[in-house]
Amino acid sequence: MRILNQIIAVCSINLKSLPQRFWLSFSTVVAVAMVVTVLLGFLALAAGFKRTLDGTGSDTIAILLRDGSQQEVNSVVMLDQIRLIGEAPGIVRKPDGNPLISGELYVIVDGVKRSTGLKANLPLRGIGKDGAALRDDLTITQGRMFEPGSNEIVVGEGLVREFAGFDLGSEVRLGTGTWKVVGVFSMKGSVFESELWGDAAVVQSLFRRGSSFQTVRVRLESPEAIDQLRDYVAGEPRLKLEVFSEKGYFAGQSSNTVKLIQNAGWPLAIAMALGALAGALNTMYSSVASRAREIATLRCLGFGGFPSFVATLLESLVLAGIGGVIGSMGIFLFFDGFSTSTLGQGFTQIVFSVSLTPALVKQGIILALLVGLIGGFFPALRAARVPIVTAYSQG
Amino acid sequence: MTALISIQGGAKRFVKGRETITIFDHLDMTIEAGDFIAIMGPSGSGKTTLLNLLGGIDRATAGSITFAGQRLDQMSEGQLSAWRAANVGFIFQFYNLMPALNAARNVELPLLLTSLGGGERKRRVETALQIVGLAERAKHFPREMSGGQQQRVAIARAIVADPKMLLCDEPTGDLDRKTADEILSMLQLLNKEMGKTIIMVTHDPEAARYANRVLHLDKGRFVEQVAA
Amino acid sequence: MTDFSLILANLFSRKLRAILMLVAIFFAFLIFGVLAGVQNGFNSIGGGAGENRLVTINKINFTQPLPVAYVERIRAVNGVARATYANWFGGYYQDGKNQVVTFAIDPEFYLDVFASEFTLTPEERAAFMADRTGLLVGRKTADQQGWKLGDRIPLSSNIYTNKNTGKQTWDFTIVGILEPAREDAGTNVTFFHHAYFNESVTFGQDTVGWIVIETADKAQNTAVSKAIDEMFANSPAETATDTEKAFNQAFVGQLGNITLIVTLVVGAAFITILMIVGNTMVMAVRERTKEIGVMKTLGFPSGRIFKMVLGESLMLSLLGGLPALGVAALLLHLMRKAVGFPGLALSSDFVAMGIAIMLALGLLTGIIPAWNALRLNIVTALGRQ
Repeated sequence: MRILNQIIAVCSINLKSLPQRFWLSFSTVVAVAMVVTVLLGFLALAAGFKRTLDGTGSDTIAILLRDGSQQEVNSVVMLDQIRLIGEAPGIVRKPDGNPLISGELYVIVDGVKRSTGLKANLPLRGIGKDGAALRDDLTITQGRMFEPGSNEIVVGEGLVREFAGFDLGSEVRLGTGTWKVVGVFSMKGSVFESELWGDAAVVQSLFRRGSSFQTVRVRLESPEAIDQLRDYVAGEPRLKLEVFSEKGYFAGQSSNTVKLIQNAGWPLAIAMALGALAGALNTMYSSVASRAREIATLRCLGFGGFPSFVATLLESLVLAGIGGVIGSMGIFLFFDGFSTSTLGQGFTQIVFSVSLTPALVKQGIILALLVGLIGGFFPALRAARVPIVTAYSQG
Repeated sequence: MTALISIQGGAKRFVKGRETITIFDHLDMTIEAGDFIAIMGPSGSGKTTLLNLLGGIDRATAGSITFAGQRLDQMSEGQLSAWRAANVGFIFQFYNLMPALNAARNVELPLLLTSLGGGERKRRVETALQIVGLAERAKHFPREMSGGQQQRVAIARAIVADPKMLLCDEPTGDLDRKTADEILSMLQLLNKEMGKTIIMVTHDPEAARYANRVLHLDKGRFVEQVAA
Repeated sequence: MTDFSLILANLFSRKLRAILMLVAIFFAFLIFGVLAGVQNGFNSIGGGAGENRLVTINKINFTQPLPVAYVERIRAVNGVARATYANWFGGYYQDGKNQVVTFAIDPEFYLDVFASEFTLTPEERAAFMADRTGLLVGRKTADQQGWKLGDRIPLSSNIYTNKNTGKQTWDFTIVGILEPAREDAGTNVTFFHHAYFNESVTFGQDTVGWIVIETADKAQNTAVSKAIDEMFANSPAETATDTEKAFNQAFVGQLGNITLIVTLVVGAAFITILMIVGNTMVMAVRERTKEIGVMKTLGFPSGRIFKMVLGESLMLSLLGGLPALGVAALLLHLMRKAVGFPGLALSSDFVAMGIAIMLALGLLTGIIPAWNALRLNIVTALGRQ
């Protein structure tokens, strides 16, 4: 109990002398806040990208690509192959007995990014008449769905947000044809929101694709039914295709980009943290120096060195902690939900929102407290060892 | 002897809050070249302020200060700086050495204001340190020296540029008797052998005894003058 | 002793504090240096020797093909010295994840147009010309895959199918290794005959991915691109022609606004040290109030003291910053070796910018304490009242 009282007494002295050292203490807070801001900025960017890809796709939808093509853009699937797939077991059939299936085209077209004015690759997807039914959570937020056989398109919300010229009602030139934007759709922030959708047959003719498609989508009776589909495809020599669950297909695609962003963020944040650590040490040494006489006077009165140690360490941790909280708040208020886009593995832009998760904030605060801990420890040792004669020395 | 520095009608007032405090008014004094004067007086009598005026580090509210025919009160700050560098050596109670510099470099400091070359500066520093008897301590830092040694370094610094006048503010105030006597003897020697005009503020009567003249300042007036 | 040594003595009068300041400044400039190098890398993509190289792509997007017949028509355009073409093969070796950057090229002109990037011995070149299934491998790819001259390599495509086998794999013989012709040339490439590609793919015959043009003079670049794009206007495959550099940078630009990210991070780093160093300088000079008063008493003019305080913060900034730029250059050198990203280097522009920032930082952190020192009244400084 006595030691606690001593600690409280020393802490209150610290607190009272803080205004004298306001600007220096403030600079530590700012330094730590900047470190946390940079770290969380990168991590939230990576997390947002990962969330978009991981959140895309359902496990009751299967995607079929030509074997070895890896990406939709590389794949080719012919019309007769689609007919064969339609006969596969384990896929959902409509009341009329026909399979719920969509042969799709994936054409890369140019768009202009609003923020930079630079050209960027956008995916124009030609979908079959069951295409919309093969997308969970699809809602048309503005306008309507395109009419089959017309040169109308609907655009994803993310795409409209990030790229110029795709607002509802506008006409856009893609390839050799002119298209009219008749609707805007949302799909729970998934990758599809970065796409343009038109009728597959129209895309085929305007991009001279004949009767070829690139991917096939089917609805599975259950997630497990994918094995039946795989077996069927494997047993049919005319189908040299690979079967993915939609969820699995997209989940695998975030890792490289996420790794890249994290690999840039951590070293930068650590380098900045070392700079901030130097600042924190400086601040705390100054704090100890400015309180040396008070500390020594307390020692004269019989206080131990330990309370000075604890109080100094605590001051440092509090300053760094405040910096960590400010840094996290800054990212949360000004950056969280911020929409941006980057090049995905499919060679096209993926629009995503920066996402600050509690787990990331925890990492940021831990880094901040680490700076506070190391930045306070050595000055705290010095505080504990202030010679008692300091109380008598002049000015 | 000729007048080295004189004050005519010197006044120093300053405003503190709503009050105007007068340190002194209508003060006249003349100090001859080669004199050694002690100024004594109780705290607040204005003796430090007087020394500040004589050293050109503070300005009088009214009156004129003349040093060898030059009017200090009419000089700009820059001119005063140059005048101090050339003509005045200061010795303070707490030595006021630069903690980051060793003894030799502390002594050399005023020479940076001259056009002397490196060799000549080095020679002068050595001479000054020899005069104060600290030649072997040239490389020591202030924190490594006793109070008396530090004050001797300060004296070396004050004389290195060969000024005509030394201003000492309680030069022995922080020293024991024995060391104080050594320092005061040294000042006396500088006065006698090197012809330095010395003005020393002190409240120690023992110290005042080393001077040729003692002026007593009380409430801004000289109350009596006693020859030592 | 000089003013300079006096500044140094003052700066290091508190060694620990000075070192901590230097460390903080060092890291800020290290971040600046490395990021400037990375930015430099992105800026110089497609730069180098190819100032008179243009690229023609399909106007829809560069992933859309162009008819091979366009090549001859472009060669006839006034101002075009040479034109060649290539196709993206989507190559990989054995495992789909082990991608190999592979182009089907026009053997006759491609190597000439890119002679400033790659060198090939005349014997290897002759061997390539003579062998339809010959493969030219860049030094870096050869080292990465462990390939050597004479190896028979099956390369697969994630796009095309070989109609002779019905598989997506083509067999090649390595007939030449492409050595970099200049230090930062990327040799992470493999080339094979477009003719071999054309005769064996199930689709995409008689198309090329893009056409590379060498103009007679870079002053004609604009006129040539305009002439080409006008020639194919309103055809089924309209073209877009631009310099190779602009083309490559547009591609990199798709990754995101790298300049913005670099600027924000460097900005954050500098706000941090500006706060730390600025406050510490104010404090350091305040602690020396009495010393400055003494200097003034000794007759040091205020202006000279002002300059000495500024000199101190400038010195601090330079002592922390210059070594950081050196270390950054070293790190960039190691990174360049490791990832093979040419252009990762500190250009003289960025070094000059770094030094300018050091000077600005020094002045900014020193100006307030220097001003305080300038204004300092001797009487108050010495507590003589």
